[in-house]
Amino acid sequence: MPPSSPGPTRRAVLGAGLGLTGMLLLSACTHPDTAVPAGAKPVPGGVLDYFEPQSWTVLYPPAGGFYPNGGILNNITARLLYQDPQTLKLYPWIATALPRINADATEYTFTLRPGITYSDGSALTAQNVVDNFELYGRGDKARGLAVSEQVTNYAGGEVLDEHTVRFRFSKPAPGFAQAVSTMNSGLLADATLKLDSAGFGPGSAAKIATCGPFAITAERVGTLLSVRAREDYDWAPPHFKHQGRAYLDGIDYRVNKEYSVRIGSLVSGQVQGVRDIQAPDQARIKDKGLQLVAAPTNGVNNNISLRSRHRLLADIRVRRALIASIDRQRILTKLFTDTYPLATGVVARGAAGYVKAPDDAWVHDVDRANALLDEAGWVRGADGIRVKDGARLALRSNTALPQPRSKEVMTLVQEDFARIGVGLSINDGDQVQQDLDSQDIEKVQVYHAMVARADYDVVASEWSINNRDALANHDEESGAWGDEEVERILARITGSAKAADRERALAEFQQHVIDQALVLPLFEEPQVFGFRQEVQGFFTEPVGRPTFYNTWLADGAGRGEEA
Amino acid sequence: MTSTPKYILARLGQAVLVLFLAFTLASLLLLILPGDGVMARFSDPALGLSKDEIAGIRASFGADLPWWQQYASTLLGFLTGDFGFSTQTGAAVSTLVSAALPSTAVLALTGFVSALVLAVIVTLVASYGRFRWLRDVADSLPSLFISVPVFWLGIILVEFVSFRLGWINVVDPGPFESLILPSVTIALPISAPIAQVLIRSVAEVRAQPYVRVTRAKGAAGAWLFVHAVLRNAISPALTIAGLVFGELVAGAVVTETVFGRNGIGALTAQAVANRDNPVLLTIVVIATLGFVIVNLLVDLLYPLIDPRLRTRKAAA
Repeated sequence: MPPSSPGPTRRAVLGAGLGLTGMLLLSACTHPDTAVPAGAKPVPGGVLDYFEPQSWTVLYPPAGGFYPNGGILNNITARLLYQDPQTLKLYPWIATALPRINADATEYTFTLRPGITYSDGSALTAQNVVDNFELYGRGDKARGLAVSEQVTNYAGGEVLDEHTVRFRFSKPAPGFAQAVSTMNSGLLADATLKLDSAGFGPGSAAKIATCGPFAITAERVGTLLSVRAREDYDWAPPHFKHQGRAYLDGIDYRVNKEYSVRIGSLVSGQVQGVRDIQAPDQARIKDKGLQLVAAPTNGVNNNISLRSRHRLLADIRVRRALIASIDRQRILTKLFTDTYPLATGVVARGAAGYVKAPDDAWVHDVDRANALLDEAGWVRGADGIRVKDGARLALRSNTALPQPRSKEVMTLVQEDFARIGVGLSINDGDQVQQDLDSQDIEKVQVYHAMVARADYDVVASEWSINNRDALANHDEESGAWGDEEVERILARITGSAKAADRERALAEFQQHVIDQALVLPLFEEPQVFGFRQEVQGFFTEPVGRPTFYNTWLADGAGRGEEA
Repeated sequence: MTSTPKYILARLGQAVLVLFLAFTLASLLLLILPGDGVMARFSDPALGLSKDEIAGIRASFGADLPWWQQYASTLLGFLTGDFGFSTQTGAAVSTLVSAALPSTAVLALTGFVSALVLAVIVTLVASYGRFRWLRDVADSLPSLFISVPVFWLGIILVEFVSFRLGWINVVDPGPFESLILPSVTIALPISAPIAQVLIRSVAEVRAQPYVRVTRAKGAAGAWLFVHAVLRNAISPALTIAGLVFGELVAGAVVTETVFGRNGIGALTAQAVANRDNPVLLTIVVIATLGFVIVNLLVDLLYPLIDPRLRTRKAAA
């Protein structure tokens, strides 16, 4: 071949290269990974190597909603109460008993367990516990520390005696008992409470002192956070069979933003655990003999909100048509696996206050959708998009980057909308861009989101104008409302003293968003983890953050033993 | 051409101008873009801050000032060596950058040296390979190398060398171990343009009559290549080597992501995601500085390598 025409050679080499890649990716080898017999006794020892897709941002407990933050906070902090992930029942932890609550749920009294120390050696005192909630309940703008979204209407705390504290609220705060059980209310040592937001950020993590089973010992900014078991930890929730120190010697939380590297590291045995196994890989992980753990997140289901305050969505017939047009089953079959069950209510089946929605709540019916739009006076224009009084029925949605395959989900919704003559564009951009655009109803009218919290309040966290405001329901300047009734019902969920009233309000909320066609729940969103066989005893707290206290390694020595 | 000190002074003046322009352009672009670091950090709906609260925080960071005031105060800061604070973490930018710089510098250096070695090897095989087909294959390698996306290459290397063969750990590797795969990943695409130019240039020089004369005088093998051919063929390759420095910075962003290394590349990616303008500006200025220095060195090296440039200078 003359040197002037190396084309075929090049192409051949490239072709070979691409073929090789495909082969490699399909057949990544597995190190021998033998199953551990059921019923084996836990053995202490070993450090768990665990991959996170994103780096943690701030270890200020109220910011625990962000997965990487919460996955760490849940293991290094102890809380006043413990919430069982299955039953969602509350148990004593740092408090010796469930709190005494007054009739209108505005006063909570806790008795504290004696003898608890923080990882910096300081003692947990009644004053220290009050100081914690003074910070979470009021925030501190000067230090860049926000109020915890779970502690609302906080009016102050007081030390009653050496082991008793009381918290007061300006309005009924029925969610407070559950709130103190979450990692967003993890207790911090006195010195740590004085840090500012930079002090809770990357670079100074080792200074954060907590009283959970693990404590932070080392940090490499952006790549690694090491926590080690506290030998003197002796205050697990009393109802636990396992007491004393954690089985693991520690956990190395590693970060690699490249998905294929995380999966490859797990399959090849370089790490023992990975969070966020995406749907297309789940079968492969199982085939390799690895464990796949799909933890329910027990909150609001992955859903789409239709912002009725926008002129194009003000007509209920349009909203009903949009909901009827979306084929939820197709989204699930095309994009997901069995670990993502079809939503049967606004909240997940395991969530507090779940009520099954009527069978006819969210039926996929293209003919009905078309008929509704015809009836509402929207006629198809030349480009297939419906028009009425010169306005095109073209909408825009966000991309919910933290949610699985949001872009693909919205692409299928786009196809469904196109079938009934409705245009949908999907907002591009990173998380910051999404946050900024999503607040502007002119930019985003169809909002894809999901929120996890194992309390009735979770629906308020997503839809109340005081929280995430997924419906962009209220315009502060003009005072205009999309649907004021939504806010009134939510106020009853967050502000009723009795659980039964809150549960009833939640059911009413669900019926209201069905009647008004404001929300379409898509599926129950799990948190999917992959583990090597030697990892035993793993479970998550109620919203799917890892709990490593009971986890143990079958070979007792961690990485490098199998091979 | 004028005397060397004057020439160097002129080049330094140019360098300062380039730095200033890069700084200005970058800071204006960042100021024009919607959303800043303060918004990025506090507009997260999960924080539940009201618009007034966010406005108050913005004011305390000075993010609400008009663009020219922000530009002037940043410029003044840079001139006095104060690079400001990261809006995302609150840490001093100088701390973040000085923590990240060494790891990237080592990676860039090993990557660059590997690229040079690779380019010379490819050139040797393409020019002196024993078989025709071998020369043809080597000759087409630069085109292949340049078309390989760094990202893809990094993942393939990890997949094959680490996950399948188990030779290198990507999780928690030793200091030397951690450099091997990233260096190769960066070196391959960078070696391509250097090799391409070197191959053509060597071919050209070998056809020159003086090479034939030197060979006739009895020179052969390595001596002939180093003294008669390479020395005359290297100038164009050197120019290219200076220009590909920019690729090193871009390559670092990708490689550090794939291999989970902490460095300027990872810092850049994070700063972009968080609209962390003080960090971004500092990185732009540092990258420009590196680019300017490397190209200045290249220019100063020419006369040392090519006697013709020295003669002309002496004559002038």
